[in-house]
This record gives sequence, C-alpha cells and structure tokens, in this order.
Amino acid sequence: MPAALRNLRRHPMRSGLALAGVAVTTAMLLDMVLLSRGIERSFERLLLGRGYQIRVSPKGTLPFDTEATLAGATALRRTLESDPAVEAVGPFLGTSLHARRGDSLVTLFGYGIDPAAQALYQLEEGADLAPGDTAGVLLSRPAAQAIGAGIGDTVSLLGRLDPQTASAAVERRLVVRGLARWLYDYRGQPSVGTVLAVMQDLAWQRAEDRVSAMVVRVREGADLEAVVERLRAAAPRAEVNSVGELVAHFRQRLAYFRQLSSILGTISLGVTVLLVATLMTITVNERLGEIATLRAIGIGRGTIVRGVLAESLVLTVAGGGLGVGLGSVTARYLDQILTAFPGLPAAISFFVPEPRSLALAAGTLLATGVLAGVYPAVLAARAPIAATLRAEAT
Amino acid sequence: MMKPAGIAALLLVLGGAQGGSPPEAGPVPPDGSLPPGTRASLPPIALERRLARRLQATVGDTVALSLEPGGPARAALVVAVYEPPSDPARVARREYGLRLHLPDLAALLGAEDRVDRFAVALREGVAPESAAARFNRIAFGFRAVPSVAIANQASQTFVVVSRFHDAIAVISVVASAVFLLCIMLLKVEERRHDAALMRLIGVRRRTIFGALLLEAVLVAAVGSGLGLGLALLASVATNAYYQRFFDTSLVFSLVTPGVVAFSVALSLGLGVAAGALAAWRLVRTRPVVLWGRG
Repeated sequence: MPAALRNLRRHPMRSGLALAGVAVTTAMLLDMVLLSRGIERSFERLLLGRGYQIRVSPKGTLPFDTEATLAGATALRRTLESDPAVEAVGPFLGTSLHARRGDSLVTLFGYGIDPAAQALYQLEEGADLAPGDTAGVLLSRPAAQAIGAGIGDTVSLLGRLDPQTASAAVERRLVVRGLARWLYDYRGQPSVGTVLAVMQDLAWQRAEDRVSAMVVRVREGADLEAVVERLRAAAPRAEVNSVGELVAHFRQRLAYFRQLSSILGTISLGVTVLLVATLMTITVNERLGEIATLRAIGIGRGTIVRGVLAESLVLTVAGGGLGVGLGSVTARYLDQILTAFPGLPAAISFFVPEPRSLALAAGTLLATGVLAGVYPAVLAARAPIAATLRAEAT
Repeated sequence: MMKPAGIAALLLVLGGAQGGSPPEAGPVPPDGSLPPGTRASLPPIALERRLARRLQATVGDTVALSLEPGGPARAALVVAVYEPPSDPARVARREYGLRLHLPDLAALLGAEDRVDRFAVALREGVAPESAAARFNRIAFGFRAVPSVAIANQASQTFVVVSRFHDAIAVISVVASAVFLLCIMLLKVEERRHDAALMRLIGVRRRTIFGALLLEAVLVAAVGSGLGLGLALLASVATNAYYQRFFDTSLVFSLVTPGVVAFSVALSLGLGVAAGALAAWRLVRTRPVVLWGRG
C-alpha cells in the first residue's frame, strides 16, 4: 500500500485529475443510488408514519388520486372492523372549501377525519379534536395565515358555493382548537380539518355518507397479505391495497426516475473503470523497465499484480471518499429541485440515504477499482523480463 | 363562445350482446340484454384507443357505464375510437379516457346542469386577463383564469424536470471535462520519448507543440463524432423504449442542432485546451528528462 501511494505521488497532476474524475463519477453514482430507492422509501415511511398498513379507496383508484368517493362509509367501516385482525379503521374525506376573511373568500383544502383513528396529521400546537367535536377545527399554519386566525378564534367555513344564487349552500362557524401538520400537504397548502360529519356536511356528502378513503391498522403479528385478501373479499366494491402495493403503484409512476438513475449510475461506473484503467495502463507501460528489474531480482508475479491492483484500489477509494462528500452536497441540491414538484407532499424526499444502498454503492465502487486494475496488472505480470531490460538499456 | 365540460370517473363493461369480452376485473355486470331497436337511442361514446384495446371494443359495440361497482349501469354505443393528444402530464398516470356528450354525462352523474368548467372564446382584441378579471368581479363561486396562466401552472412539473435535467447535465459535463483532461494529459505524456527524440535532433519546440496539438484536435474531433453517433443511437433507443413503455407518441429525447453544436463545441474546446496544456508542459521539459536520463 505505501508503494502504491508513492507511485501515485510521482505524477501529482495526473493522479490529481484521476482523483477528481473518480470523485465526480462517484458523486454521480451516489446520487443515483440514493435516487433509485429514495423516493420509494420516503413514500413508504410517509404512509406507515402513523402505523396504518392498509388503504381502502374507491374501486379502480388510489387514495386522493381522483375525486371519486366511497358511499356508505359507516357500513363499510363496520365491515372492515369485523375482521379479527383489524385493530382500527379511520375514514377520511378530502374536499375543497372556502373560508371568509373580511369581504373575500379564501380557498382551502378540507379534511374530514375521525380523531380517534387518523393517519393524516400531527398536532403541532393547541388541542386535538375530540371524537364528536362538531364545533372545532384544526388549521395548518398556511391556512391560519391565509385566513388570519389563531387558536381560540372562530372561523366561518363555506361549502358548495352556488354561482347562481351567489351564496354558499352550507356555512359552519367553528372554533380553532389547534394547529396541525397535515402529512400529505404540499408546501404552503392551506388545509383545515374537522370531524368527518362536519366535513361531509360542507362537501354535501352527508346523505350518502361518503368518504375519500379509509386507513386500516392491522394487529401486530397478523399476516398482512392474508388480511388484505380477506378485506378485498369483504368489500368487493372498494379498492384494498397494502402500503407495499401502493409503493409498487408509485414506483411504476416514477419508473422514469428509477431508470434514469440506473442508466446514469451505470455510466458513472463505466467512466470510473475507463479512467482508472487508462491511467493504470499508461503508468504500467511507463514503468515496464522498473517492473522487469523487480522481476529479474526475484520479485514474484503475484507481488507485481497485487501492487498494481492496490494502486488502482487506492485511487478509487481516495476518489470515492471525496466523491461521497461531493455527492452528499449535490444530492441536497437535486432534492431541493425535485421536491418543488407541484402537488408533491412536502414530507417526500427523493434522495434518502439507506445503509443497504450505501453499502451496495461502496461495494460496487471497490469492485470497480479492482476491475479497472485487472488489465494493467496482467500487462505488468506478462512483461518479458529480458526484452524489456534490453529495450530500457538502449 | 362558451364550451362547458364535465369530467368524471366511470366504470365500463363491454356489452355482451354485441361481442367482445368484459375487462379482467370488471365488477359491474355487463349490459347484455338490450331490447330490439334500442341501439339507435343509446347515448354515443368515443373510447380512447388504449381503452378500446383493453376492452377489446370496436365501433358498434355497446358498453355499460356506471359510476361505481354495483351501481346502476347505463348502456352506451361506441361510435368512435380516438387517439388523445400526447400529454406528458398524464403519460405516467396511465388513465383511460372516454368522451360523452355533456348531457349524457350529466344524466349519468345525476348532476343535471352542472359542469366542471367552461372554456370561453373571446372576441378578437379582448385581453384574456381583463376578461377574466371582469368575470371574477361579477360572479361568485367560480374563478376565471386565462388559458396562459393554466398552461404556466400545468407546465410547472416540466419546469422542475427540466431543472433536474440541467443539474444532472452540469454534473455530467464536469465529469466528462475531468475525464477528457486526464485522458489528453496521458495521451500527450505517452509521447514524451518521441518529443525528446525530436528535440534532440533539433526540431523546434513550436513544431512539436503544433504536432501534439494537432493530434489532440484529431482525437477530440474523432471522439466528438463517435460521441455524437452514440448519443443519436441512445436517443433513438430511449424514444423507442419509453414510447412503448408508456404507449404514447411523445418524444422523450430530442437531439437538436443546438444540443449537437453545444456538445461538439464543448468536447472540442475541452480536448484542445487539455491537449494544449499537456503539450506545453511537455515541450517545456528538458529533452534528457523526457528521455528518462535527467
């Protein structure tokens, strides 16, 4: 290893450029490894954040993917809860509504939830809604700012505006109980939450007892796949998906990013191999005289090969180390770009470091370093001793 | 002129009476028992090509439409199969589309005289922004937005993707530049014995520098040409793959003259600069050192 370092120091500019090249390609490889699985992991964490492993939505849709709703929510909930493996079921309704601010109206997104079984928010300040609290409302910070209300204030929410009569079909005055972070909101989304019955009234969905979807928590130790199958059979008019299946749907939609990351990651590895192999081949060619001399005084082929491979590995590892730092910085920058997607939940991240992915990237990089050194090492081992020494002497 | 539009999520099942087979997982029973003579009175619908293929439906078939599984179904007659305009915003969603006359959809939804939106064509000379502002002042319960604003909002996704591509391109260019510099440096350094020999027999530094630079230009030019060919092949492969993957006619990779000019100029410029730097270092070194005896 010291010999490898010494050899690299002989040509500082050449080695420096090679290190820079390996560092940039490693940064790209790292970013692509993080991107390839990061978004899925991030989405999975978001879905499992509140411990609900199953989602039930209108047939043929995914939760919040369309404006379709499920009718007869109470009966459906009872059906789902009757499965012995089901611990809790939380229905929710999402709809667009308005709030008064002076003479004008502010458009908001409304969630109707069951506070006892919800997977949509985390309380940040104030008090949570109690089950059956039909007089309270939770606001997101952007909503509080948009309508100029704080905890304890009374706000007017309007649903089903009718342009013909210039009036709202329903208006409710509610007291702000607290501020919540709605997990699926995009950045700056003004959202409010009430108990389900209030939101159904505002959305004009009470008569048919409609909800957007339901979340289901399965008891610990239960076979999730078997539960999903049972719920599908019990509720044939609904779409039942485990979080794993939702992630698979999501993965299909983001196939472009996965494929892009695979292609760019492979190109990065290819460039690293080419760069290190070229450098090592030329270095070995330059040192053929030295190598022949070493062989002539009894140094074995194995030692020569190990020396060349070590030099290649040192170059790759040193460049890779620099690349990890560079890659972390670029990953943050790229994440800032991609998380600006309109409508994307603010909690989603595209570049998520995972021990398994990082170990895979490190292993691949090390293998690349060794692979890049194979050809020059063979070249060094096969150098004809007498002919090389004769050529050097002349 | 105003054109109202309605959008809804529907379930379809191909009618059994006129042939075809139901979708793989259609929970709605097919409408297979039409009384004679009723076909002419059925509401006409147009199916998107992918949907028609999925349902194995053709013009003249009947389909049953319902709002939800198990809900009341209504028969409709397929009068056309259409190819929707390629929309990058929808390509990854793989949704199926169909078109009905607005009153038929409203009847199916049970929402008579309700629409999602109106498209408004203004008289020539009327500014869309001022018309939208006027609508917003006089009415309650809707929002008028100029088409340009909607287009800008809808294109945000592609602005983000474009910025991501730009950032990746910058990283790629930096990696390529370092790679190119390194290779050129090695390529020129490989000629150190030749350069030493030429210097020893009296060839001028400028001549050697010029020869090495010319070699670098040739290498950069050939490399650029090969790279361009590779990029064109990759572009064709990318389009073929994604057009098949998403079943769309969208163009995913476009090699424009501007992109070609930029790439070739960059690789030539970098190659020549790297070659010049390496050649300059070489000709400044004493011949005996180059020969390895210094």
